[in-house]
Amino acid sequence: PQNLKCLTHNLHKMVCTWDFSSRGRRRQTDFCYTTNDLTPQVCFKTKERRAEIPVPESSITVTIKTPGTAFATKEFTIHQKDISFVPVTPHILSLTPGFPTSTLNLKWSDNGSVFPYGLDALWQIQILRKEAMEEVTQVAYYSKLTHEDVILSWNWTSDIPLECTSHYVKIRCYINATQFVGPKDWSDWSPAEVIPGKDTEPGGSGVFPLDAVVAVGSDVTFCCVHEEDQRITNMTYGSKSYTMMQLSSRSHAIRVLNASASNSSGTNVVCRLENGMDGSVVFVGYAPDTPQNLSCETSNFLIIKCTWKPGRPSGLYGARRTKYSLFERISSKNVSCEVNEMNRDRVCGFPVLPDQKTYDFILGVSNPIGQAQSSLLVDITQRVHPKTPEKLTVTGNNSTSIQLRWFINGSFTGIRLLCQIEIVSGHSEKKLHNVSMPGGKSSSYTAQLNGLHPNTKYQFSVRCSAADHFWRWSDWSRGLEQTTSEAPPS
Amino acid sequence: MAAPDSPSTALRRRDLCSRGIRLAGKMRADVVDLLDTYVEQQGLDASASVAAVEGVPLAAVERWDEQTGTQRLLENLAAYRAFRALLAQMLEEQREQLGEADAGLGRALAAVLLQVSAFAYHLEELLRLESRGVPSEEEDGPPPLPRLSLFEQKLRGLGVLRELAQWAVRSARDLRQLAKPSPATGTGPGLAESP
Repeated sequence: PQNLKCLTHNLHKMVCTWDFSSRGRRRQTDFCYTTNDLTPQVCFKTKERRAEIPVPESSITVTIKTPGTAFATKEFTIHQKDISFVPVTPHILSLTPGFPTSTLNLKWSDNGSVFPYGLDALWQIQILRKEAMEEVTQVAYYSKLTHEDVILSWNWTSDIPLECTSHYVKIRCYINATQFVGPKDWSDWSPAEVIPGKDTEPGGSGVFPLDAVVAVGSDVTFCCVHEEDQRITNMTYGSKSYTMMQLSSRSHAIRVLNASASNSSGTNVVCRLENGMDGSVVFVGYAPDTPQNLSCETSNFLIIKCTWKPGRPSGLYGARRTKYSLFERISSKNVSCEVNEMNRDRVCGFPVLPDQKTYDFILGVSNPIGQAQSSLLVDITQRVHPKTPEKLTVTGNNSTSIQLRWFINGSFTGIRLLCQIEIVSGHSEKKLHNVSMPGGKSSSYTAQLNGLHPNTKYQFSVRCSAADHFWRWSDWSRGLEQTTSEAPPS
Repeated sequence: MAAPDSPSTALRRRDLCSRGIRLAGKMRADVVDLLDTYVEQQGLDASASVAAVEGVPLAAVERWDEQTGTQRLLENLAAYRAFRALLAQMLEEQREQLGEADAGLGRALAAVLLQVSAFAYHLEELLRLESRGVPSEEEDGPPPLPRLSLFEQKLRGLGVLRELAQWAVRSARDLRQLAKPSPATGTGPGLAESP
């Protein structure tokens, strides 16, 4: 027996192999080993030229006896430094494609249960592409073994749509067992897992990505998958023709750099073939800006109206438009807002909730490219902006005083109102008269104006606001003209 | 041999036909304008050749001369009912894809849809004039349209509008044919006879 070599996959057991100096038929061999003087020798018979025995702390003595031949017995002393440590070839549990986002999700087991606690593991993940399995990238991934089998997960985004050509993934592992003094090496590569491209599907054809949404400035690869016997004449992005790259016999691609914003119906990517045409549409827009100047108020204590400035238009419309939702943290109530993309003002209504004065709003904004949010903490009793007073009428009139009444839609029972009456007399003298009163529920309010001049035409108008914590005046009511009666004969 | 028209029926038919011809002419002009807007807005190549689109009735017809009046009306009616469904689908897709953007194209599409509906009704009136049963919508109602990718939707829209423009021309010719007085009696022949 000669060339005894030992290799371990798990730092516990090692497989030793040997061969014989002279050729011949396989012989029955007595294989014995002992790790040190204190432990009894362990022997067993084998016809194999390999045996699995424990990894020694320091060294192990192996005796291989082959009865009936010259030089029948050979003794080997193996030190840990002579033992190679090569982790078991990893096994990919799943490779899941995310076609819309061109992402691959890889899951594998770290096989940690076979190792002692706390070893550092380094994984190499290799992505290959096309029929020729060209390497696209090789990525390092670090993990810690915890003496349990942990399923590791890793995502990768391809720079070309997964449909364009087949993508393959392989993985291997290196374990940094610092206490182990023998030579350490990478495991073998796992078998490759494949996500077949459309160019491998019988009848598979089309332009990809199909109807994608990307950010302005992106570099995008589009491919045209066609039948084997079809010849492509050209591929255009918008109105511009691009140089094609061949991915496989049934797949050609173009690379568009720094894509500019598309119009509302998207940019067409057209693949012209000898006997037809295929195409896709890509929508190039912006992620939503963080909403600016978020402000919320109520005009009636029934609905809270929030407004904001949307910032830069996203350039995305219809099904891809930017969507808005108003989430209120205290009540956990969420409202989605109907917003017309074309007009600049953004408004969203949120119901006033019973027994809740303070509202902790988060305005969420999202579209297929990104999302943003703004928040606002507001005490709604300090954000009262009443509606325009209506039905301003005179309910009492003498030579020096007039009583006015008006109506305001809304429920203000919880607050006091401050109303301001503008008094314009014929001599274009304008006075403002303030009056405050308890708020009512969709009710009328009155005020008495004294100290007027007899037989004088006056023009009245009224506006209101919250008396405590002023926020905003309502608009002025419609004007009302009234002449005081003549003074009684003195 | 069907009995020739009464003078009032012939007069009524000629009136309906001439109004139909004017409607077809207006529709064609609007469809051509819409086509230009559509091509530009959808970023298409005006010269793009579009394969026959499933569900779109072809205006070209063999042996046009040999068709009877009833055949002409029935074929026209089936075509415009199909266009009505196709245009309604285009309008829905337009709203879904573009929302409020490019409302102009949406309005133009809706206007043409209105004209197509009106023209279909006009054809039904002509058929009723001849006490011909008007086929109910289910009989030749359009099959549900397959869900297409956005680019295919764009091409289908192009195909629909191009074919509709052709149909408007054919319809005007068909109605002129129907409006021709019969050489013998000077009144219009029954629809069944008119070549």
